[in-house]
Formats: sequence, structure tokens, C-alpha cells
Amino acid sequence: MAKTYDYLFKLLLIGDSGVGKTCVLFRFSEDAFNTTFISTIGIDFKIRTIDLDGKKIKLQIWDTAGQERFRTITTAYYRGAMGIMLVYDITNEKSFENIKNWIRNIEENASSDVEKMLLGNKCELEEKRQVSKERGEQLAVEYGIKFIETSAKASIRVEEAFFTLARDIKAKMEKKLVSHVYNDCF
Amino acid sequence: MDYELPSEFDLIVVGTGMIESIVAAAASRIGKRVLHIDSNNYYGGLWASFNLDSISNILNSASNIETNLEVKQFLTENEKIYQFGNDAFHMHTHSQIWHIPEKANEQTETEQSDLPTECIQKEEESWTQEKLLKNSRKFNIDIAPKLHFARGDFVELLISSNIARYSEFRSVSRVLTWLNGQLEVVPCSRSDVFSSTKVSVIEKRMLMKLLTSCVDGDEKEFVGYENKTFRTYLKDRKLTDNLIHYVLYAIAMATDTTPCLEGVENTKRFLSSLGRFGKTPFLYSMYGSGEITQAFCRLSAVFGGVYALSQPLNGLIFNNENKFKSLLCGQQRISAEHLVMGIEKLPKEFVNFTATQFISRAVFVIDRSIMASEKENLTLLLFPPEDGKNPCTMIEVGPLTGTCPKDTYIVHMFTKQTTNPEEDFKHCVERLFGNSKNESETGEKENLLPNVLWSFYYTVPNTVNLDLKNGIPKNIFVCPGPDLDLDYDPAIAQAKAIFNEIYPDLEFLPRAPDPEEIIIEGEDNNNIVTEGENLTDQPIDEATEAVADLQIETSNDHGEGSSGIEQGEAE
Repeated sequence: MAKTYDYLFKLLLIGDSGVGKTCVLFRFSEDAFNTTFISTIGIDFKIRTIDLDGKKIKLQIWDTAGQERFRTITTAYYRGAMGIMLVYDITNEKSFENIKNWIRNIEENASSDVEKMLLGNKCELEEKRQVSKERGEQLAVEYGIKFIETSAKASIRVEEAFFTLARDIKAKMEKKLVSHVYNDCF
Repeated sequence: MDYELPSEFDLIVVGTGMIESIVAAAASRIGKRVLHIDSNNYYGGLWASFNLDSISNILNSASNIETNLEVKQFLTENEKIYQFGNDAFHMHTHSQIWHIPEKANEQTETEQSDLPTECIQKEEESWTQEKLLKNSRKFNIDIAPKLHFARGDFVELLISSNIARYSEFRSVSRVLTWLNGQLEVVPCSRSDVFSSTKVSVIEKRMLMKLLTSCVDGDEKEFVGYENKTFRTYLKDRKLTDNLIHYVLYAIAMATDTTPCLEGVENTKRFLSSLGRFGKTPFLYSMYGSGEITQAFCRLSAVFGGVYALSQPLNGLIFNNENKFKSLLCGQQRISAEHLVMGIEKLPKEFVNFTATQFISRAVFVIDRSIMASEKENLTLLLFPPEDGKNPCTMIEVGPLTGTCPKDTYIVHMFTKQTTNPEEDFKHCVERLFGNSKNESETGEKENLLPNVLWSFYYTVPNTVNLDLKNGIPKNIFVCPGPDLDLDYDPAIAQAKAIFNEIYPDLEFLPRAPDPEEIIIEGEDNNNIVTEGENLTDQPIDEATEAVADLQIETSNDHGEGSSGIEQGEAE
């Protein structure tokens, strides 16, 4: 069977309950928004194939299946993940504070070279904002990762976020391939 | 934690061992409200895998039961409460020993400048505790290691239930036995038999004939052998001693006293799994066997199962008819119709059975494979019975399985206990491992025995054959711990039996839909996802293919996050 893609990237969504991980996932994979899937029943992962610089990239994006609620995400969830979207809710201070716990969790369980990105979701709710954009940016700088504010509901910058993450993974991968070739030659 | 657990469920499962996890998955799958809860801070219970740091801590893991909590206040009239846990069914550690120095000898370091480069490198290569512990996270050490028959109950269940998408496997690349004082590769496939240099042409014909008659031989073949041993049958077939050894101890994993029909069954189990995924009939779970329990927990969670680890489980509450009502988690009462629990969590008051059989187990971290080869191997070694010792099963895994760092291997051993693990494995350890201090003198690395860097001997009670209903309230179901089977067959059978008893007319783990098949309905009609729309903009054949079968890791490099996942069956 011919491959219909050049690369397959496994991506994860991580963050507190209720920050909108599943909504972000559906906005990106189906261009749909739905308020009824409050708890994530039956959603395992979603697939979308995108074009990047002439390459077809199949993104397999995994949801936490509610196991984030009591911090019981399985170590198996992290296996083979190449990119992680860390999501918080800009109207929920606590979800922002917990990002550092999630990063610790990632450091313990994921591959050390996993590409990470920070998302401040629900940016359409400006009037309820508890976490300023600057604080988000600052935290991202601290961890040396990229940051974007999104709205799954209003469809703001969700595409951009996933494309950015995918582009960074692709760049890292190609760099690795080049250095392998280089090492083999000399 | 900001969240509170709901107070009512259909089923509460206490403990995250294999059988508990399968039952939790099966119940969630058919829409039951399941709480899966554990006092441990890790998944897997007696079936877990650990990194090097944490494996030393499981032995003295502090219980978080609030001992000074006045539990009576949570009870109504006529209710009783029992504390979780007993001492009878836990694993028992005999020893956990480092065989290497804690740190690199500082004296050597200062002397290094005077030594030729060769020697400095030598010094850098040798392992220290510090260096191994720095790589602690790269270890996934199973306490109940398993292999999977390619066409066994477990693999079939993973595929039919669609749980296969949560795990990756590697093929076992060789089956070894100990024969005439050395390790020998067991010829297991037709091509192995024909290419083997250890088996003569006549033997080849005899062996093929025997294996064929075991697989599809009619009833008559074994008439008169009902009360005889498999060994007698093989002798009667005029097999040479070497062939008998291969068939009896390796392929049938039997002993001299195994009844003929059981030996034939075992042979069938082995042969029928050949040719599906690799050169041998076996698979091993990437990142360790502990991943498997988590795969079932993931399915349960996807279907609404609520997961909570590290919970202060303060007791089980019963009414005056001795029926389970609720459990006390912290200060919260959580009720359910049924309770499923691991045997090690059972309150002392209900322990009406004692284990009479024990499993001796050992794990070794070593610095090279037990049998050197150009490529990294994943090995099953079946050590035959001798001098009153039981046959020992050994699994050697290397860095490509994601269970140990580069330049190390892990060897797991297990056997039916006769005295204690040290004694039960002594003869194997003496032959397989060395303590080659004279390495530099001989200089021939290939012939060297691996050095043991770290060893761990422990005992686990074999509880699979106990009558776990004896004196147990009707709405409680007790799951036994790990057994001696190479695969999960008995565990699956137990889980299925428990499920069928609780939910007699419901299907056990029907196929979970692929993400593409799920239709989300909502109030916002413009955005309803329909299956049709979905099909048009996605390469659905590709997507379903990716999860329809087992994921077999075949890459041969040590790169992290490798994407070399290939699906499908080997020719």
C-alpha cells in the first residue's frame, strides 16, 4: 500500500481539566466546536494530514481521556510523542500555575527531545481574563518554548499553533537526518 | 486536588494490576460507570514496571492510610468497616544488590594521565552505580515480565478490542536452550530447522514429521498416551536425544513428567503462533510489560472510567448482611454495586486462603548479552530442569525494547519455587554470568560472560489456582496476582470470568470504534461532525490501517522518538 504521507507525528495535548483541550483538538481536526463534550468520552485521538513545504505530514493528536483530572496520565501516553501542546485557560489562574507541574510530568515521562508549545486557550473571553498575555510569554521564554493564545470557540490561531509545532518537529527531524548522514560520511 | 470524586458508581476497581485493569476496561466499554482507584502512585500493582530509582522504593512504599482517622463517624448503624491490605499476598524481596562500585575510583582518575589512552577508555567504559542511576529513567524493569504468543489469546484480544493502538511490540528474535554445557539456538520454524547446522538431515526429517503430527495429527496419533508422558511419546517416535531436548524443554516448555497430551497442546500453542510477526512465535511489549495494564486503563478512561492513583484508601464498608456498600477514600464515602480488587488489597478479615505455591523471580542488569551476536537480540531462554531443579524461564531484553540504557541488558528469570530464588537460580547464574576481572588479559570480548551490575531476587505467591470466592461477600470479586504463564492467558480468562459474573449477558470488550467512526452530536447543528464529511477529507484507509493491527517496532537504531513503526503481518 502506498503511503499517503511523508511523516507521521504523534502529538499530545496536556493541561488541566476544562481548559479546552478537546475543543482545540476538534477545532483543528474537524473545524468544529461543541460545548457538549465536557468530559472527554470516547475521544482517543484525531488525525489530520497537513501540507508543509511540499511534504504531507500526518498528525496523530492524542487527548488525555480525562486522566489528567487526578494526575493519573499513564506513562504509556507519553511514549513516542514528538510534540506536546501544553494548554491552559486564560480565564483560570490555577490552570496556568499548573503548567509547571505538567512540564515536570513531561520531563519525567516523555522523551527528552520532545518539542513543546504553550497555548493560552479561551482568548475570546477577554472580560474574564485572569492571566495576562505577558505572563504567558514570560513562562514560555523561561522554558524556551513557543507560545500562542488561541480560541477554539472563535477559531483563532488554532491552525497556526499546530502548524508551528509541526514545522518545528519537522525541522528538528530533518536536522537530525542530516547530521546522521554527515556522521556516516566522515 | 481541586476535583472531587463522584460518590456513586456501578463498579469500583481497587488496584491497577492486569486482571483489575482488564475488568475496568470491559465494564467502561459497555457503558458502566467505573471508578478505578489505587493507593499506589503508579499503575500496575504486582504487574508493574519500574525505573532503577523507584524499584528500590517499592519495597518500602509508605502507605498513606490515615491511621488516626476516627472511621466510625462515617458509618451508619449496623455497618462495619475493614481496612485494606494484607501481608499474605505481596511480593517478598530476598535481596537487591549492586555488584559495581558506587562511584568511579578517584585514585584511578588521578592516575589516568600517566596511562595510555586505551586504559583511560577502559576506565570510562566500566559501570558505576552513579552512572547507572543517572540513566535510571531509561530502565523499565518488569516485576512480572511476559511474552505474547503471536496468535495467543492476548494478541487476539488486543486486536479484536482495538486496544492494540495503545502499545507497540518487538518480536523475540531467538529462542535459546541450555544443551550439552552451552547455549544453543532452538530451531523453531521450518526454515530454522532446515538451515540448522546442529541438526542432521535425518533429524530434520524426523523433527518436521513430529511437529506436523502434533499440529494436525488426528486423534489416533496419541491413542494409548493418555496416561503417559510427553517424553515417552517423543522417545517412541525414535527422536534423538538432542531433538527430544529441543521439543520437550523448549518448544513444549515441558518437563520429564509432563503428560503427553499437555505436551502436545503446548507444542501446538507454540507452532500456531509461528510466522505471524517474526522469526519466533513471541512478542514483547516495548517499554516493558507494565505498559500493558496501562493500555487497558487508557481504554477504560476513553470510555468514561474515572482514574485516581495515590488515594488514601481508608476502608471498605459493609452492611449488616455482609454486603459491600462503599469504600472510604480520605473522608469521602464512595458507593458501588460491585467491587473488584487485587488480592494484595484484600482486608485481613477476608483472607480465608493461603498460597501454597510460590514463584521465584530474579532480575539482573548485565553489561552484555548472554550470547553475543552482531545484532541486538530479544531472547527467550528455556533452561531445562536438572538435578531436582525446576525448568527456568528467562527473558533477555536490550536497549531497543526501551527498557534499559545503551550497553546494558536486562535478564528476567522465573520458575516454580522449590526453596528460594537464590537457590532456585544458582545453577543458571553460575553458568550464564561471569565476574571477569581478567577481561583485559584475555582481550577476547566475544567469549566473555556478561557481568552482573545489579541483581534483585524476590518471591511472589502464585495465587491463580486459589478459591478466591471462599468467604468473600457476593458482590466482591478478588483478582489473583501474576502467575507462571509466559503470556497473559490465565489473566484474561480470570478477567473474563469476573466480567461475565457481574454482567452475564453483555459483550466482553467489543471492538472500540476508531476515532473516524465517532459521530459527535451537539446543539450547534452547523458543526455536527458526520461520518460522511469526515470520510471525504481524510485518508481513512490509512488511518484505520494504523490502528487495525499490532504495531511492531522494527527499527534497529537507538534513536529516540523513532518513527519506524510498521504494521502488518510478516510473510
